[in-house]
Amino acid sequence: MSKPIRIGLLRLVDSAPIIVAAAHGLFRQQGIDVQISVEPSWSNIADKLTYGVLDAAVMLPPLALATCAGLRGPKARLVVPMSLSQGGNAIVASNQAAASLAAGGSQPRLGLLDWLRSRQTRPRFAVVHAFSTHNLLLRYWLASGGADPDRDIETVVIPPENVVEALAAETIAGFCAGAPWGDVAERLGAGRILIGTSAIWPFHPEKCLCVGEAWADANPDLLHHLLRAVLRAQISCDRPEEAPAIAALLADPDGLRLPEEASRAALPGGSGAELIRFHTREAWFPARAHALWFLGQLRRWGWLDERTDLNALAARVYRPDLLASAVEAEGLYPAAGLPALEGTAMLPMPDDEAFSPRNR
Amino acid sequence: MRVLLADDDAERAGAVARVLAADPGLTVVRLTQGESLADAVASLAPDVVLVDMARPDRDALDGIRQLAALNARPVVLFVDEDDPAFMEEAIGAGVSSYNAIGMPPPDVKPILRAAVALFRRHQQAQDDLKQAENRLNERSVVDRAKALLIKQRRLSEPDAYKWLRRTAMSRGRRIVDVAGELIKEAEGNAG
Repeated sequence: MSKPIRIGLLRLVDSAPIIVAAAHGLFRQQGIDVQISVEPSWSNIADKLTYGVLDAAVMLPPLALATCAGLRGPKARLVVPMSLSQGGNAIVASNQAAASLAAGGSQPRLGLLDWLRSRQTRPRFAVVHAFSTHNLLLRYWLASGGADPDRDIETVVIPPENVVEALAAETIAGFCAGAPWGDVAERLGAGRILIGTSAIWPFHPEKCLCVGEAWADANPDLLHHLLRAVLRAQISCDRPEEAPAIAALLADPDGLRLPEEASRAALPGGSGAELIRFHTREAWFPARAHALWFLGQLRRWGWLDERTDLNALAARVYRPDLLASAVEAEGLYPAAGLPALEGTAMLPMPDDEAFSPRNR
Repeated sequence: MRVLLADDDAERAGAVARVLAADPGLTVVRLTQGESLADAVASLAPDVVLVDMARPDRDALDGIRQLAALNARPVVLFVDEDDPAFMEEAIGAGVSSYNAIGMPPPDVKPILRAAVALFRRHQQAQDDLKQAENRLNERSVVDRAKALLIKQRRLSEPDAYKWLRRTAMSRGRRIVDVAGELIKEAEGNAG
């Protein structure tokens, strides 16, 4: 057997497909050997993928795109052969902030804006990374309510496992983070969930699998079997009846050590305000339309200049062609039919009407 | 030139600070425990930031230019495009470096190189320590197994050791593994 495939991930519920594939022997079934590396930061994932210290990783799509666009240094060559999950993030406000917003009464849309602008200092909101789905969806939501995220709030970056503590200490007025941290904040009474990100953009793509382009080119067979194993794991992760066992697996003291109940709440069939989806509605399909939406948002905020050809970048990084053989081998979809999925990838669209915190 | 050093390992940070302080052109400031990396960058205005890659708050420096609040000082990851092997070495050692932007780029490679060397030495020392602990642990396992054999089979100490060695050789195993199994078996019988 060749060298193990090194896969990086963070302590998050949506790392589940890789953890489940390893625990259920799905990698072994595919004849591949995988070594999982739990990383402390997204920067580590991006750097290690860029320099080939990791072969693959659970990744934030905007960070993969930003890294390839040269927003973190030289332009890296990374590819996204599959998406891993949809949804799962929550925008959470401190109790004080949530109470002020609720007092806004009949017009919560104005309530948020008024509240933001009534503060003596700009309210601090935490996201997990500048180039994260969380940050882009938070900014999109604020902007659709008439706020200017550059002027009306201060954005800080705090690791997901520390956001609840920061909220409880009132160092921040709110955050947007992935599961289980929104539920953990509510359970501990540190704050309240205003809206799940799926209410902003139903079925929005969340995490993707990212691999070094050089590794993908050199190891087409390994990639094929890696993708097959993860596609199978995604099916397990989407079954409500498997959720208790998966939450227990994610709580393993020798593994990710995630709070079991809060993880369970975010998995399919869970009681959380915002659920993660792993397989249904072609959650595995790495649609270029998704990449273009993220790139469009990066440009909207002035982070990507006009010279960058967004279509070319989306096409180079998002590679559904690399997934085709695995999807067909797993009997999920005819390879020839994959391009047609682009047509429905953006349905439903991010929804301005869902903006109101009432609609959680 | 001011260097901010973000490393909670006091011993290693001390060593890096000492080496860098030998250069009269450098002022080294250490991040205090519990202080936010982004706040320290804003308040201390360093030219270079050296960060332990095991820190989860390193993400706060990524994209800081894009998020740059009015008071924030933008920094960018230092990357030597012409020397990917060195970049890989730095990642392997677990240290990354950031430059303040908006000023002439300082020659940071010697600084990062020094940090990489010290991080590596520290890593090696940690590995050695772990190995030493393992060896100590192995020794106590072998000693306990010998004691068991002396008691159960009424062997002398040298014979007990010979028995372990012979068994290990015949099974193609390490002595410590055979000793460990013997202890487990005895505990199983006792329980």
